[in-house]
Amino acid sequence: MAEGSRVQGFKGSGTRTPEPRNPRTLPLARLRHYALAVWAENIKEWKLELTYPLDFLRSLIDPVVYLLPYVLYGIALVGGRYSPNLQKLVGTSDIVSFITIGYVFIGFMNMALWAMGFSLRKEQMYGTLEAVFAAPVPRWVFTMGMSMHSILHQFLMIAVQLIFITAVFSLKVNPAGLLPSLAMIGLMLVALYGIGMIMASTTLIFKQGWLISEALGSLLMVVTPIAYPLAVLPVFMQKTALTVPTTYGILAARHFLLGEQMGFSVGTAFLRVAVLCVAWVVFGLVVFALIDRYTRRSGTLSHY
Amino acid sequence: MSFAATAYVIRAEMVKTIRIYFSYPVIIVFWAIFPVLWVFPFLFQGKALVGPGQSAAFQQLTGSGNYMAFILIGAMVSNFVFSGLWGVGNSLREETYWGTMEYIIASPTHPLVILVGKTLTEAAITTCIVALQATLISFLPFGIAFTVAKVLPVLLLVGLLMLGFYGFAIAFAGFTLLIKEVHGWVHTLEWVFFLFSPIRYPVQVNVITAFVSKLIPLTWALIAIRGIIMLNQRDVGIWKIAGVLLGMDAVLLVGGYLTFVALERKTRRDGTVGMH
Repeated sequence: MAEGSRVQGFKGSGTRTPEPRNPRTLPLARLRHYALAVWAENIKEWKLELTYPLDFLRSLIDPVVYLLPYVLYGIALVGGRYSPNLQKLVGTSDIVSFITIGYVFIGFMNMALWAMGFSLRKEQMYGTLEAVFAAPVPRWVFTMGMSMHSILHQFLMIAVQLIFITAVFSLKVNPAGLLPSLAMIGLMLVALYGIGMIMASTTLIFKQGWLISEALGSLLMVVTPIAYPLAVLPVFMQKTALTVPTTYGILAARHFLLGEQMGFSVGTAFLRVAVLCVAWVVFGLVVFALIDRYTRRSGTLSHY
Repeated sequence: MSFAATAYVIRAEMVKTIRIYFSYPVIIVFWAIFPVLWVFPFLFQGKALVGPGQSAAFQQLTGSGNYMAFILIGAMVSNFVFSGLWGVGNSLREETYWGTMEYIIASPTHPLVILVGKTLTEAAITTCIVALQATLISFLPFGIAFTVAKVLPVLLLVGLLMLGFYGFAIAFAGFTLLIKEVHGWVHTLEWVFFLFSPIRYPVQVNVITAFVSKLIPLTWALIAIRGIIMLNQRDVGIWKIAGVLLGMDAVLLVGGYLTFVALERKTRRDGTVGMH
């Protein structure tokens, strides 16, 4: 089967793509097969999104409107751009850069909770969930396609935020820190994929799962050191923060870009995120598989 | 419809909305707890930037250096705005989802009467939630104390705020009939209010936000309410602010009514009421 028609098969054209059968070529062929499905899902989401250009434009402006109150609040508190108190706590005093980097990268958490979490619910609303579930690929491939679209969308939003803040406030970062920051963010994304899988599966049971996403998102927003260092949190929150991948992502990104003192070494940060990646992804896949099986057996997949 | 029949429909709508609310008690718990939880990042941010307690720069802008009290009062009062946006503005969209919108349109009652019922319920539930939050916060060490002398003028201001804002929400409900999916737009409006009214920061810190904020009733209400609660100011120009709010209410209520009626008529004529 040609590549084009294989991809078409995932778009609900009615053409089923057979699983690769030859055991010798199995791992590589299957991987390619999955990669095509992920890409097809990503393209489908972009097509859907660009069908509503005004909404797409709004989604790019929203993050800037969302970020500004945090920055302006900081300026109102300090009476300027530089905080001696922050300098004492983390070794950097530029609050605009500190807050912007924190809020820019926390967008990925929202992506995992909302975009990925509601991927299956969205398909249900479109009336295409059953078709997606009948496709010859595992469900995690489908959510990975959704997450690919979300990650690309998130990068676009980050670009708009950074361009705006740089133009208005002049963002001051160390350019040499960009690559290691992206490496850490990449690892963080893998761990967030695990959390997103859990959220996606909960919508299969609870259907209107916005409450879980909103509650979990709110709690993570408090414990993650987005606009403040870990040191200002109560001890129990500090301990909780260390189990969340976004903590390491944001602390390390600010460490590389602004020189923030993290309280632990870079190696420790990478090691801990790597452990969190394995833990969250395995946990996410297991929870997803269990809930998927439960909804199939109970026959509630198509319920609203 | 006679006045008695209209009152009966409003009461029936209120009972229905309250029943739906109490079918999901966890949602009420969520709205009672999380708006307060959302301010915690701001409290921690304040602690990191200026240390616990007071900020001299903040005092210059607002008259009080107690940024914690500032943020908490903003969070409580803004509940009314967001309940209006979600509970009233989005309510007809919800009826569409439930499959009951056509019945409302086909009934001999004007949809505006239904919206009045929803608005009154939303106002009552939000008032209860905010009262609960205020009681809880007054026991915590944030420097906020409520006395009868403070509560009465605050209630007057909140009443005036709600009146105008629910007028806006009714107009917004009309837009949901027209453009259907408004979830994203409600979020955008939420953030616009966060940016251009002093819910989370003193808007005077920036010239543009200071200028735009004067067009929003929430700004006037918050300035007066904070003056009464935080600064113990008996004379915060309450009558002047009440007059400004009354003027805004008149514009928003009349504008909201006319907008809703026009949009509802348009969707009926276009035959798009039942569309999703």
